[in-house]
Amino acid sequence: MSDLVTPAFESPPVQSRRSMMRTLGGGMGSVALLNALAGESRAIASTASHAPPRAKRVIHLFMNGGPFQCDLFDPKPLLEKYAGQRPESADLRTERKTSGLRPSPFAFQPQGESGLPVSELLPYLSKCIDDICVLRSVHTENPNHGPALLLMNNGTILPTRPSMGAWMSYGLGTENESLPSYVVFCPGRPVRFSILWTSAFLPAEHQGTYINHSETAPEKLIPFLRNETRTVDDQRRQLELMSRLNQRHLEQRAGDTQLEGRIRSMETAFRMQFAATEAFDLNQESKSVREEYGEGHFSNGCLLARRLVERGVRFVQVYYGNGQPWDTHSNHDATSRKLCLDADRPMAALLTDLKRRGLLEDTLVIWGGEFGRTPTTETAAGDSGGRDHNHYGFTMWLAGGGVRGGMTYGETDDFGFKAVENPVPLHDLHATILHLLGLNHERLTYRYAGRDFRLTDVAGQVIEKIVA
Amino acid sequence: MDDLNSWRGVTGRMRNFWFDIACWVIAIPLGALPVVRSFAAEPHDVDFRRDIRPILSDKCFQCHGPDGDRESELRLDLEQSVKELRDGVAAVVPHQVEQSLLYQRITTNDDSERMPPSESGKSLTPREIELLRTWIEEGAPWAGHWAFEEIVPPSVPRIDGDWARNAIDVFVQQRLTAAGVPPSSEVDRRTFIRRVSFDLSGLPPSPEEVEQFVNDSHPLAAERLVDRLLGSPTFGERWGRVWLDLARYTDTTAEWLNSTGQAWLYRDWVIRAVNDDMPYDRFVQLQLAADSLPDVELEDLPALGFLGLSPTYWKELRLAPDVIKQVVADEWDERIDAVSRTFLGLTVSCARCHDHKFDPISSQDYYALAGVFASSQLGDRPLLPQDEAARVMQARESVREIEEQLGKLKTDETEPRQGLEQQIADIRNSTPHYDAVSAHVMVDSSIYVEADGPDLTKLEYRPGEARDLPMFVRGNPSNTGKVIERHFLSVLSKDEPRKLNNGSGRRDLVEALFTEARDLTARVIVNRVWEQHFGQGLVRTPSDFGSQGDPPSHPELLDYLANELIRHGWSLKWLHREIVLSATYRQSSLSHPEGKTVDPENRLLWRMNRRRLEVEMLRDAMLAVTGHLDRQQGGSAYDLDGPSQQRRTVYGQIHRHDLNRVLRLFDFPESTSHSPHRIHTTTPLQQLFVLNAPFVQQQADSFAAQLAVESSDQARIEMCYHRLFGRTPDATELEAGREFLSSAHGEHATTVLADYVHALLGLNEFLYID
Repeated sequence: MSDLVTPAFESPPVQSRRSMMRTLGGGMGSVALLNALAGESRAIASTASHAPPRAKRVIHLFMNGGPFQCDLFDPKPLLEKYAGQRPESADLRTERKTSGLRPSPFAFQPQGESGLPVSELLPYLSKCIDDICVLRSVHTENPNHGPALLLMNNGTILPTRPSMGAWMSYGLGTENESLPSYVVFCPGRPVRFSILWTSAFLPAEHQGTYINHSETAPEKLIPFLRNETRTVDDQRRQLELMSRLNQRHLEQRAGDTQLEGRIRSMETAFRMQFAATEAFDLNQESKSVREEYGEGHFSNGCLLARRLVERGVRFVQVYYGNGQPWDTHSNHDATSRKLCLDADRPMAALLTDLKRRGLLEDTLVIWGGEFGRTPTTETAAGDSGGRDHNHYGFTMWLAGGGVRGGMTYGETDDFGFKAVENPVPLHDLHATILHLLGLNHERLTYRYAGRDFRLTDVAGQVIEKIVA
Repeated sequence: MDDLNSWRGVTGRMRNFWFDIACWVIAIPLGALPVVRSFAAEPHDVDFRRDIRPILSDKCFQCHGPDGDRESELRLDLEQSVKELRDGVAAVVPHQVEQSLLYQRITTNDDSERMPPSESGKSLTPREIELLRTWIEEGAPWAGHWAFEEIVPPSVPRIDGDWARNAIDVFVQQRLTAAGVPPSSEVDRRTFIRRVSFDLSGLPPSPEEVEQFVNDSHPLAAERLVDRLLGSPTFGERWGRVWLDLARYTDTTAEWLNSTGQAWLYRDWVIRAVNDDMPYDRFVQLQLAADSLPDVELEDLPALGFLGLSPTYWKELRLAPDVIKQVVADEWDERIDAVSRTFLGLTVSCARCHDHKFDPISSQDYYALAGVFASSQLGDRPLLPQDEAARVMQARESVREIEEQLGKLKTDETEPRQGLEQQIADIRNSTPHYDAVSAHVMVDSSIYVEADGPDLTKLEYRPGEARDLPMFVRGNPSNTGKVIERHFLSVLSKDEPRKLNNGSGRRDLVEALFTEARDLTARVIVNRVWEQHFGQGLVRTPSDFGSQGDPPSHPELLDYLANELIRHGWSLKWLHREIVLSATYRQSSLSHPEGKTVDPENRLLWRMNRRRLEVEMLRDAMLAVTGHLDRQQGGSAYDLDGPSQQRRTVYGQIHRHDLNRVLRLFDFPESTSHSPHRIHTTTPLQQLFVLNAPFVQQQADSFAAQLAVESSDQARIEMCYHRLFGRTPDATELEAGREFLSSAHGEHATTVLADYVHALLGLNEFLYID
């Protein structure tokens, strides 16, 4: 592992959290510990912003597998006219072989005051469209799940770079020292798994905390959340001793970041026992709220996400399901219908609920898959009504957190295959997300192995037009 | 400090041997310039493999590579194409930068002309352009990919000073000197025995072992310690598990296989083979082809578990053959992936749908290998001589059929039930060794996916028959091209690739691994062993030695060790010994400013990397230091979450699709596919395990009961430190312990000792190896 390297916030306007801690003496561990032992969950909010933040927290609803844009937010009437044909502009190579165009069978209606067209598959979410900014022209570089998931999360297909959530946690710290700053829910596991929330060379504390929320009792969500035989006081005394001895051990080892990361991690764990029990307990929600979100893993994930951002967790990702449920290589229409039936209600409930609590204005909600799907029929294994991966152009949406609602940005071609107007590469998306959080993507860097690394590598432009 | 005995005066014998060898004097130290490129021994040299090929591969191959779009004739992966004239110009004219079209196109101001084109999303950095320029100026020397080249046994250079203990150190020192970074000081004996014990046995040393070693005045104390550790059965338990990660070992196989095999036979075979220091070539041979080699003992048949425990995917025969063909092809693909990455460090699977984008592996090569797996099926084999095994298998099949009939009976059909049950009993009684254990093995038998009527599918097996597969166009098994004879990878073959056509071809495949691919095979295993000892490989992508992988930090060292491994009859214990006795391995893990500035990633090995215990080591160490470890070896797997399980973690049950949560928390790999190495994470959830898991609490509680008999708090504290950390507590630690133990009153008084032990088990000093 690497040694301590200086994080490079280029001339931070205010002292960074990290240097603040160091100035207080004794390394980060001891300061955080003081809070822990005082029983406080004092907010150690970021002072490292580059600009006033519009969003303080992010919820990313990840439709792993890749939904089809033209079923949901990007209607393409010309698909009917050219059904079964493969015009030149739709002759794009994707992962598998596809043939002629296949229209979406789902109807669109203008919705809300903005009158944006939304699919009949999303009756609940349609009602929130005035808060949503639909990006119709996102594109990525790779039509395979693994690389595309890495691109969406880490901005690169290299498995050695930090994830977006780790960058956020590093840039902003946490608002709640008793909970991890970055939490990942999946009822199972997405393809590629933990590399999607890695902290890579960033300090280990910024890694996403993965929680399989197939079961929702806090003790089941989080293994070993409670000690059956010891009291809080017993444990507090233990932690005090550990801290004292660990601190000496650390000092004798020149402040190795991995040791420091574990000290912090131990303190977070201690506090999590109490904070998490409360934060992860869905039973504390009223019956009406539970009903609003509906039932199922995704509903629970959305509700858990709201509970966590409410408590200052910086970044919550909710993967829709185990593996890649949106990966409809066969029987696409029926599967999409089923998936939307399940996902529509909780997504709408989340936006409505955040808004009602005044959280939507500084909580950014991101929706989308690792790519979209082809408007053409997949034929790799015979026509079984499937659609292949499409990385050339697909829809994502943003809501809240300083984003203009009720608008679309960018367009795909006549068939919804390729982004043609105002294309949004992922680095631009990442730059915009960081911008909304008050972070300049070119200045959020980390010096490692002789080089300044950043989430957007050498690219990325903020999409100013979608910022409210 | 305990470092009473000098390490010195031990290795004079070894120290002389390179003086006799042809040698060259290294470059004058550069002075510590904090420049990344100062790693290069010759700073102005552009090395094609290190500097140029990665640029071409990353930035250009997408269009100008093996599988580039066919618009461009120019292939930047082929020297001839790069240097030949097209319409009077060549992409590269050696020594003539201005004449080289490549250079013109990457530097032109005309946006529409400049390469790489902007729509590729790629661009060259000024540094990369500069490298390409220098390379052309220096004559544009070309070289094949390092991993595919034969080893030219490197001579061990002469080097100044007395730091080096063996040849490893000479190669390491050479690069350190060139970079102006001094090596770190040697660790004291306590640190060394802790480090080497975990590395070789996966367990901490006992207090007695520590004291014995610290006070050992024998000049070969370290050598004797290492030999003892290498000779202990715990060595196989530690290193066998390293192999099982690569082999995606599982204790449970898919239920539809109706398997009677016992997976642990493979796990135990691996552990035994590692303990016996079975030569690596034999070790691999048995795992891929024990069924088709002469003179294989029955006890070696479980070796086939490497393939015999491969993941299988459900084949729903009610679906169309096209769908099932895909599933079957996915299984072959997984096996190709596991075999090519484990043994060759190559990602051959990438060539399933198209020629490999970065490495010279064609789709033809892929289907040539896939044929081997299409001709080999998973099976169970009672560990009995052939004819007895056949009888037992026949009997078991009959029993299975009768059981099926039984299952169809209604509950009130008592009489037929009794009849069938009697039949089963008769078969069992009349078949000798009916209950013999069965290993997961491979058999030569080819599979065909056929239509069964208009809609359904059937699988046809042809025992003893091999098959060559047709190419699947773009990976689609329903769109087949020409039939490819089974053969070995072309890029590793000098002439016509070896045919893999004796039986399934698995036996030929092994021969190829240790003949034409021998040098690569050796480099890959050397690097794996190295990585475990240092926490970082010489090549940091241990299962990708292709052009997208990481180039070696010390190519000569890697080649030296690979070559010596072969010379030492593929003895891995020889390799371990060489590594852990080197001065490089004995360095302190403390950072120093020169190293930190020049080489923060420690690629030059100016210190030891501090490492976190892997989950097996953590769990085993908790059991060991509290005196609970049950050292019973081998046998069927136990439930890690069970109430009183105190055997080593390597014997805990691995479920392929439901990994134990503690293993999962601590980064244990999924056994669904080959795992090149573990990724280490630090999360609060891990710490909750330490704070709250009943397992940890139990160890603390019962160790506390043992400690209670000691006469004083000081004695108790000292015992804890000796057991857990192999050392005596200092005054501050004693004071902290006393304070903790004496502060408890009332109900705390009974548990305070356990709480103390528990806290120590949670310390960084327990989890990390210096």
